[in-house]
Amino acid sequence: MKNKALSKRMRNNLLSYSFILPNFLGFLIFTLGPILFAFILAFMEWDGNHAMKFVGFENFIALVSNQRFLAALRNTVVYSLATVPCTLVVALGLAILLNQNIRGRAFFRTVSFFPYVASLVAVAAVWNMLFSPSKSGPVNMILYSLGWEAKSLPAWAASRDWVMFTLVLFSVWKNMGYYMVIYLAGLQGINSELYEAASLDGAGRMQKFRYITWPQLKPTTFFVTVILTINCFKVFDVVYMLAGGSNGILNTSAIVLVSHIYEESFGKWRLGYGSAVAMVLFLIVLVVTLIQFKGEKNYANS
Amino acid sequence: MKKRLGSVMLACSLAAVTMAGCSGSNSSGGGTTSAPTAADAGATTDATAAGDVKTLKWAIWDINSVFYYQPLVDEFERRNPDIKIEMVDLGSAGTSDYVTNLAIELSGGGTDFDLATMQSVPQYTTLVSKGVLAKLDDFVARDSWELAQYSGLTEQLTIDGALYELPFRSDFWMLYYNPDVFEKQGVAMPTNDMTWAEYDLLAREVADPTPGNEIYGTHYHTWRSCVQCPATLDGQHTVLDGNYDFYQPFYDMVVSQMEDGISRNYAELKTSSLHHSDAFAQGNTAMYYMGSWQIQGFINKIKTGEYTEIPNWRLAKLPHAPGVAAGDTIGTVTGISIVENSSKKDEAWEFVKFMAGPEGAGIIAGTGSFPAVMTDEVIAEIASMDGFPQDAQSKEAMKKGKLYLEMPISPYTTDIETILNEQHDAIMTGAETVESGIKAMNEQVSAILE
Repeated sequence: MKNKALSKRMRNNLLSYSFILPNFLGFLIFTLGPILFAFILAFMEWDGNHAMKFVGFENFIALVSNQRFLAALRNTVVYSLATVPCTLVVALGLAILLNQNIRGRAFFRTVSFFPYVASLVAVAAVWNMLFSPSKSGPVNMILYSLGWEAKSLPAWAASRDWVMFTLVLFSVWKNMGYYMVIYLAGLQGINSELYEAASLDGAGRMQKFRYITWPQLKPTTFFVTVILTINCFKVFDVVYMLAGGSNGILNTSAIVLVSHIYEESFGKWRLGYGSAVAMVLFLIVLVVTLIQFKGEKNYANS
Repeated sequence: MKKRLGSVMLACSLAAVTMAGCSGSNSSGGGTTSAPTAADAGATTDATAAGDVKTLKWAIWDINSVFYYQPLVDEFERRNPDIKIEMVDLGSAGTSDYVTNLAIELSGGGTDFDLATMQSVPQYTTLVSKGVLAKLDDFVARDSWELAQYSGLTEQLTIDGALYELPFRSDFWMLYYNPDVFEKQGVAMPTNDMTWAEYDLLAREVADPTPGNEIYGTHYHTWRSCVQCPATLDGQHTVLDGNYDFYQPFYDMVVSQMEDGISRNYAELKTSSLHHSDAFAQGNTAMYYMGSWQIQGFINKIKTGEYTEIPNWRLAKLPHAPGVAAGDTIGTVTGISIVENSSKKDEAWEFVKFMAGPEGAGIIAGTGSFPAVMTDEVIAEIASMDGFPQDAQSKEAMKKGKLYLEMPISPYTTDIETILNEQHDAIMTGAETVESGIKAMNEQVSAILE
């Protein structure tokens, strides 16, 4: 009797495992395995063909003196620090606007979500055209007619001073729709009685936002921040498309960590060094995530 | 009991997967050449016994837009009925696809390729250092294969005393020009014997920077080679020097032309990714220099009606430094190699000889490309092609002088290239002055060479 019960539970377990197995196998072979392998590679010198050679921390020492790595690290941090708050603010603003009963609400929601759905390569090509560095580029033309001096018109992605701004602007525009939808869900989850009560107490719009909306949205904001930060640190495609030019060569004003990993690993076949950079990226994302998870506890408790 | 059985099974299957993963990476990691070769050899012996026809697998790019592959294969198979060639397209040469894919394909012991096409010298250098290409010296010695017919190219391709490819195509840089523009502007046409100073003057004379009605005197593609390589034609400097002060006159010339509207703006070209041939084909560009590989492109696109503005385009020799003979130019090499892990090296060598030898040269020239073996017949063959400019000067322009490799062989090629690309971009976008950009090249490259 007891045996039978056990075997039933066991059967259930096995059944569950069998459901997980295909996914887990994929994860094991294509994700977990390579990750562990990269950990080992970071301490090796390997070109993919000759025998691996153990070099200890040499790859990590080489990092510190590599100008392109330092530039990539700096650019990635700057990009993330700028993109995360800007996207948050824009997405929240859009969500609040489009959560009200206005005419054409569905239309504007679709419009804001569209950049996220569109293919990145296609919209990047359009952006490069709109933000053409020439005086006759559409955006520059507008700036010029607004009184911007012709000589100092920005060259956008082709200029060292403007490339980061262009990248951030593009990323915010591209992703705002997605995070807007998440915020919309959050907004709709707020109990409307809270607002009614506040109105009775004579609270204004700003006070409602400050004391009801913002605190109620904290879990959403937390989620959005974590996902956005991680996505920002692993940025590659946006930079490659906007700043890579015809040959995909990135200068030190535009290069980001993932591009550096790619150029070292698959351009120069320094797989060990590339893995060491990947480890640095991994550590950064890990630390950021840990800090944020710690922060989450405070949010949840308050 | 069953629970334990279940977990044991799970553990076993996981372990098996892990082991499979490990063995895979082991073989690609420490994979020696002997083991897979032996295995392959066993397999092919069986195949040979069965059909007596050996199939060689050949890595190529752009199978639909390179016209000599198929005729080469057809003729070779006709002459060698016991060898079949299987072409495998690994991606486009216009992007980095082919280079990356081939490197991945040949890494580790598991490849079944026998022949690989080398798109460029840097690709060749990288693959040689990865140890995936076979040395050809024994074959060359065995068959007393004549290396002199490559006019010195094979010497420039020798790495640590060994040769790993035979060149089958060798393109060189020429000046393309649009006589209609020169005529309209009432300016004398470019000649086969111009110094860089004369070229600069000519570009300025023929240009018209009026906004909306621009005529560009010349055009520079965004590659660093367009500015830097001409500087190495003085026969005294190379890209491996570590001191790049000799680039200065060329950067001064190009940057000031760009500022004066004589040539298109680099930053715009970079973001718009405009192809150099499309720029010239707009019909408002008087001249520009580019590799001879572009000849076929113009002929074909004019034939198909895509390019309508440059019906009378012509060729001239690349301008030269004072004191250097006209015709000395920058060259690129496209070669054919045997894969180190191939078990059919003897058969592969037969194809290499055919392709890189005089027979292959005739076939390649017949499709409008420039073979590495250049004889008078080959030149006549190309010039007689339908659509080739018919004036005497264009034909004369095909007689090249000394050939300098765009990128000579060095273990530091990719590092140097990264630095030079970066500074080229900085100078051309105006982020740095010519002086500070060259200073940065000098400092960073010397640091690598030390």
